[in-house]
Amino acid sequence: MNRLFRYAALLLVVVNGLFPAVWLLLTSFKTSGELRQLPITYWPENFTFGNYVSVFTENPFGRFLLNSAVVSVVATLLCVLFAAFAGYALGRLNLPGRRVILTLIVTTSMFPALVLLVPLYRLFVGVEIPWLSEVFNSPIFTPNLLNTYWALIIPYVALSLPIATLILTSFFQLIPQDLESAALVDGCTRVSALFRIVAPVSAPGIVTAAIIVFVNSWNEFLLALTFNTTLQMRTVPVGITLYQGEYAFPWAIISSAIMLGVLPLVVLIIFFQRRIISGLTAGGVKG
Amino acid sequence: MALQPKPYKRPGFWARLASGNPSEAQLGYLLLVPAFTVLALVMLYPILNVVWKSLHYEKLNNPARGTPFIGLENFHDMAWGEGLRWSVTHLLVWRLLLLGGVAALWATVRRRARGQAVGWTVLLLAVWALLGIHPGAEGEWNDPRFWNAFGVSLLIIVVSVLGSFVVGLPLALVADIKTRWRWLVRVALLLPWAMPPVLIGLMFAWLFQDQYGVVNDLLRRVGVEGPIWLARVVPAIVAVNYTLIWKTSSFVGLVLLAGLQSIDRGLYEAAEVDGASVAQRFWQITLPLLRPAIAVALIFRTLTAIQTFDVPFAMTRGGPGRALETLGIYVYNTTLTLDIGYAAALSVALFLLSLAITVFYLRWIYTE
Repeated sequence: MNRLFRYAALLLVVVNGLFPAVWLLLTSFKTSGELRQLPITYWPENFTFGNYVSVFTENPFGRFLLNSAVVSVVATLLCVLFAAFAGYALGRLNLPGRRVILTLIVTTSMFPALVLLVPLYRLFVGVEIPWLSEVFNSPIFTPNLLNTYWALIIPYVALSLPIATLILTSFFQLIPQDLESAALVDGCTRVSALFRIVAPVSAPGIVTAAIIVFVNSWNEFLLALTFNTTLQMRTVPVGITLYQGEYAFPWAIISSAIMLGVLPLVVLIIFFQRRIISGLTAGGVKG
Repeated sequence: MALQPKPYKRPGFWARLASGNPSEAQLGYLLLVPAFTVLALVMLYPILNVVWKSLHYEKLNNPARGTPFIGLENFHDMAWGEGLRWSVTHLLVWRLLLLGGVAALWATVRRRARGQAVGWTVLLLAVWALLGIHPGAEGEWNDPRFWNAFGVSLLIIVVSVLGSFVVGLPLALVADIKTRWRWLVRVALLLPWAMPPVLIGLMFAWLFQDQYGVVNDLLRRVGVEGPIWLARVVPAIVAVNYTLIWKTSSFVGLVLLAGLQSIDRGLYEAAEVDGASVAQRFWQITLPLLRPAIAVALIFRTLTAIQTFDVPFAMTRGGPGRALETLGIYVYNTTLTLDIGYAAALSVALFLLSLAITVFYLRWIYTE
């Protein structure tokens, strides 16, 4: 009885988590005619891959994928690099006031990202730099970054920096101090100890932080929707919303596009589930 | 004249840095520079800037008027109204509930904590008084759309945060079961977290589709004709909150799971020896020891719920009509009209709301 109850609970959780995605996967293989049938079919009557072709012919979906990949990868690299620096300083060095600094960094993650929308939009349109204008005696503006990769990379780095710093700080604290002390005694400088001793040991923590930052950047919608408005510069989550017309919802094509858009994420969560969970809960455990 | 020995001079800050062997603190601060630069530029500057802009008139499509300083006019346009009056009976039910909360506070508060209870009572009574303000029969709010968005956001915060805990705790308990299917349970728990919220919104819009959607098909099978989910106000609220809970309960579940796994198993064994039932073990051991994890999940959930944008935007674009326009969607729509000053004022309102909630939680955690 107890055993049965357990399996029922497990089944319920799995169905709850996976059913919507499975339903979407099945939808993506149906013809648009089959979608408009009553009663609805659960298993596709005749499998078609046509929807996956339409995804690429109706909109430049390959370009969306490329945009998302470039933005997410560059943002992840920069963010993890900066967070590793900060995490090393806060987790391993005897720094006066490091608790205060860490609290400060984590607090910034509590600011609503939405509040950044208006000022960053205004900034990326281009604002005048008064002191430079005075020097050159003509108005000098910051570059217009809208519809460039930088308009997304810059905010994504900042938005994920607090959580990445937190993950890496708690990870660096776990590496035994003796490892580094031994290197220092043997005549390593602090900087070379960082690169020769600490960096190789900290690879798992860096991977964890990188996955979290990557997922955050890949999924971001609001800023991508507002800052990059030309078709060629859309990211995947924004691009997928473009398949729906004013009144028409080609659900089969939308489902296929969603499946392609979440494929990288599914691969990540299948192969790195332990890492992701430990990263997500680093904030939870450390408070 | 004898040669004076040159006194030893400690290498200066920059000399030490340039030598390639900086002191620990020097290296530390140096390593913090990139992170601080980014955060200052992309977090601190925008927040100061948005406060500054909210005090100005700025429409990008009306550059002729420039950007004059107009004080609190944006906020006056946003939150105030014409012919406002105060009456005891306005929002009567909610305000009675609030007074009930005050009564409950005094009934349960311990003798030692009376001092704090006074502070909370003053705060609750102030909210009670503010809720009595409303436009009379002839008057009207300057921006009813703002108050609608405010109400929608509050509703989503309360319903989706509570809901994500009601669902998330059982999820965590199940994910803690040891079985060889654990990896699958983990994937099922991680997928809602990892999927882009906007795609989750689209996915559930398809599930809730009135004719060909799964939800209404299942309802039809048990003999109920489901509503046109996304075109009617109340069903749309249900559908959007259900989707939000589906997405966020997995995050709550994961955080609570970490909390569960940090509990010492020996406690359960000891309790079992003492003859405690499963329910007793849950209430006496699990729940109290889970409190820190619950607090953390609650803070993050509430702060993200305030900003809810993607899911309702993808499902109904804030509709039907403007019935489900959250503060986030309103800020976005206002930005699209290029009214930067007013959008900034709305953002400040949102910021103050999340600041208030953060302070509330932090106080609560520190007093625990």
